[in-house]
Amino acid sequence: MLSQRILGRSAVKSAFKPSGLPSVVSAGRLRRTYATESEPRDLVIIGGGVAGYVAAIKAGQEGMKVTCIEKRGTLGGTCLNVGCIPSKSLLNNSHLYHQILHDTKHRGIEVSDVKLNLKQLMKAKETSVTGLTKGVEFLFKKNGVEYIKGAGTFQDEHTIKVQLNDGGETSVTGKNILIATGSEVTPFPGLQIDEQTVISSTGAIALEKVPKKLLVIGGGIIGLEMASVWSRLGSEVTVVEFLDQIGGPGMDTEVAKNIQKILKKQGIIFKTGTKVLDGEKSDGAVKINVDSAKGGKPETLGADIVLVAIGRRPYTGGLGLENVGIELDERGRVIIDSEYRTKIPHIRCVGDVTFGPMLAHKAEEEAVAVVEYIKKGYGHVNYGCIPSVMYTSPEVAWVGQSEQELKKAGIKYRVGTFPFSANSRAKTNLDTDGQVKMLADAETDRLLGIHIIGVNAGEMIAEGTLALEYGASSEDIARTCHAHPTLAEAFKEAAMATHGKAIHF
Amino acid sequence: MFTTKALRQAAQHAERTPSIRFIGKRTIPASIDHSPQPHPASPTHSLPPSFTSASSHTSFSAYRDHAQQFGPLRKTIKADAGVGGAAGSDLGPVAAPKGTFFDRNDLPARFHRQPLTAAEIEAIETGGAALYA
Repeated sequence: MLSQRILGRSAVKSAFKPSGLPSVVSAGRLRRTYATESEPRDLVIIGGGVAGYVAAIKAGQEGMKVTCIEKRGTLGGTCLNVGCIPSKSLLNNSHLYHQILHDTKHRGIEVSDVKLNLKQLMKAKETSVTGLTKGVEFLFKKNGVEYIKGAGTFQDEHTIKVQLNDGGETSVTGKNILIATGSEVTPFPGLQIDEQTVISSTGAIALEKVPKKLLVIGGGIIGLEMASVWSRLGSEVTVVEFLDQIGGPGMDTEVAKNIQKILKKQGIIFKTGTKVLDGEKSDGAVKINVDSAKGGKPETLGADIVLVAIGRRPYTGGLGLENVGIELDERGRVIIDSEYRTKIPHIRCVGDVTFGPMLAHKAEEEAVAVVEYIKKGYGHVNYGCIPSVMYTSPEVAWVGQSEQELKKAGIKYRVGTFPFSANSRAKTNLDTDGQVKMLADAETDRLLGIHIIGVNAGEMIAEGTLALEYGASSEDIARTCHAHPTLAEAFKEAAMATHGKAIHF
Repeated sequence: MFTTKALRQAAQHAERTPSIRFIGKRTIPASIDHSPQPHPASPTHSLPPSFTSASSHTSFSAYRDHAQQFGPLRKTIKADAGVGGAAGSDLGPVAAPKGTFFDRNDLPARFHRQPLTAAEIEAIETGGAALYA
């Protein structure tokens, strides 16, 4: 009896331990724990996509005990598995195929008997994906990240119940919880995606044969990249876009017009300012009824396959946010503050599932910042300086503000452009489509935006992003030595054109 | 010689100062305001009231539904029904769910262990010898 009383007294003492979380008392009769027997983690991450896995690795590097829950079975999320990476593989290899067919003869290389092996093309894509997803798993092990394959649901504010992929259930508790569940394809009302005849971007990277006619609903980045792939491989591609310009609302209007002309020359048919009314499937084909955005020009378009690429929406299904009372906005995004906290401060959220552009590199930046906020109390993401890239041929890349945004904001600016047709390296490569366009403050000369159409624009935009992040002026770039002959010289010359005059144009 | 000096001075004036300057090693601000601020990419540039109010809970009972103190302070009685407002069978099993452990000190005071008296403590510390002293 006395010994029982002693234990009771020690339990009272343990209740006043300064730790924020309980430690598991080893004495058999006195275990004060959460509703789980596993050890509480410093950080539990729901989602192993770019946001989730980067946060997990960063947290591991910071010495935190971290668990990452992912239900797909492979890490990397949409980007690595069915998004950025596989699409880039198809874009690269379809470009090679198209170039061999149409662009080598006048360069003095004659190739005969060129055949497309779609199965092998897809295999090459899968090899890239597998290599990268396995690489992330290796990085998890290297940084001591616990990886649970299963679907996580909030049980309470500190506990995540996990339905394991292999069957069974477990739960994990954390001092901090990070929601990084990403996004999913936005369905088109009245057009059921079956991934056979009506497909999403996921289906578009895994077609078993080249469709004769492909209709793409949505002329944004995903739609145009997939339109390029299948057009190069032999499809007749029509892109239907509700807005008057392609590339989405973020693309500079002048740039959007120029790239539309270039892609049209490549054989893609555009129907801008056109809305899709409905569609019906019959005998392995789809008929889509469209009309002009203003109405009055109804038309029916036929296709073997319809790709729905009207955007993506935040994914919070099955997460059990209602169990903890976390709020979503009218577009289904998790509401967070400037330190990525939800209204429950230890539950934070980053990536596609919350505010900001749905871009992998934005998610990556946020993932690092959120771990720094948890660990050190400060972090950094500059939302005014996130580059966008469209991997068509030529590529389109931009960072900062567009001309239409500056006009709307009433900011006085100067414009400088330099075409690749005046760049020596582009000339030698016989790749002269596109230009570099720079926007700078009329008074201070500080860079405000950079918009590039051109081969490797996605690489060149890094220089612009760095300049913008550092608050450079166009003169700073113009006075920086660039190697000759390089495409990057066009970047310098555009800066010279903004600040004063370009030499070679 | 005078001409050279003048030229040198003129060259110094003409020398350009780049916009980009090295600002030195990054320093951590001494104090950081951690009060909730709207996310920079938030379309509304505002936070819902639940972020800014001291407590998002409307009542103490609602608070207990979410509160954590060495584990969740879960209730088995629904707030809206009140004590006795629901049949005993509706309250679910008396046994704790798997992995959940109750502590005597979480129960009302009448269920707590009696405090040890000084004599008892003395007895324990002396291995019982104090009882015969």
